[in-house]
Amino acid sequence: MKRFDCMTKLAARLENELVILSLGASVDEWYNAAPHMREASLFQQQLGCVTPQAFGLAAGLPERQIVSLDTDGGLLFNLGILATVGNEKPKNLFIVVWDNEQYQSIGGPKTHTASGTVDLAAIAQGAGVKHAYTARTLEDFDAHCEAGLAAGEPYIVVAKVAGTVQPEIKRKHSDGREDKYIFVRHVEKTEGITIMGPSEHN
Amino acid sequence: MQQSAVDAVIRGLRRAGVSIVCYLPDSLFKELYPALDADPDIRTIQVTNEGEGAAICGGVFLSGKRAALVMENSGLRASVEPLARMGLGAGIPVVMLMSYRGDMGENNWWAVPHGITMEPVLQALRIPYVVEREEARIEQAIVDAYELAYSSYYHTAVALSGSIVR
Repeated sequence: MKRFDCMTKLAARLENELVILSLGASVDEWYNAAPHMREASLFQQQLGCVTPQAFGLAAGLPERQIVSLDTDGGLLFNLGILATVGNEKPKNLFIVVWDNEQYQSIGGPKTHTASGTVDLAAIAQGAGVKHAYTARTLEDFDAHCEAGLAAGEPYIVVAKVAGTVQPEIKRKHSDGREDKYIFVRHVEKTEGITIMGPSEHN
Repeated sequence: MQQSAVDAVIRGLRRAGVSIVCYLPDSLFKELYPALDADPDIRTIQVTNEGEGAAICGGVFLSGKRAALVMENSGLRASVEPLARMGLGAGIPVVMLMSYRGDMGENNWWAVPHGITMEPVLQALRIPYVVEREEARIEQAIVDAYELAYSSYYHTAVALSGSIVR
């Protein structure tokens, strides 16, 4: 199962959601797989921060569906967030974990899931996230996206994907600061709120 | 903490517009956490480590709500990675309120590292901070920390010490 194909399936189901996603090649893949979601996606380069940030966003915007696109390496970096999500049970957080069993962006050294003994979905279930599944086929993944986006409670799908990157995709040129401004302005526009407002005159 | 100091913290958070507090409980702020839990205008989220709390606070910032990360100052060390990446990499601010273990008067050997490392770590991350030891200064210090964080889009910190937490 290829991550890019999974992203294409997920992207087709998204319209008004907000997305926080992880680092590495998955950033450029998502940029291409979901061009209509570019402003609604925060592209971060932060191992261990993705699902916590998505949960914080979900807590701040409880009426908005939030999607976390995390990774095996990123989630393993901070497994504690699963216990927090299990306790807090946000109604609007759908978590996808791209599990390619490797640290792809630095050339492919294995992560702990490569051993076959570490089961992220089982860890999530043990942390109290009842809906935590592993998907190994595109059809299965797509079905979990449909269910997870409508679940009304935390839902995690660990997508077992190949360690390949979609060839000839357009690279994203913006950095973390520009990405943040783009994302914040999109949230402001779609929520009708001010997050980063004008300075005082004094 | 005296009840009056707890009240001052909550007044400051309210004036700053804080509606979500992430915390990992500690001993010096022992009385503060249940008061935050009981406050009808504040949602508390207990986290497994302070770095996770920092990242959650970053997500709350992106929602337009205001969050605080409340912790012992040892939690600053646990938060350095997300703070560096969010603050220096993206300009996503986190406002921290921490108890100052290891300050003058510390009576536990295990807390000494917290005092030795707190200010150098804050300075290494270029995080503006104040250390308050007088209860009368708590409320305004918290308000001021939010003003600067939302002007600079960078982290700020308030450390409470002395008679406030003893």
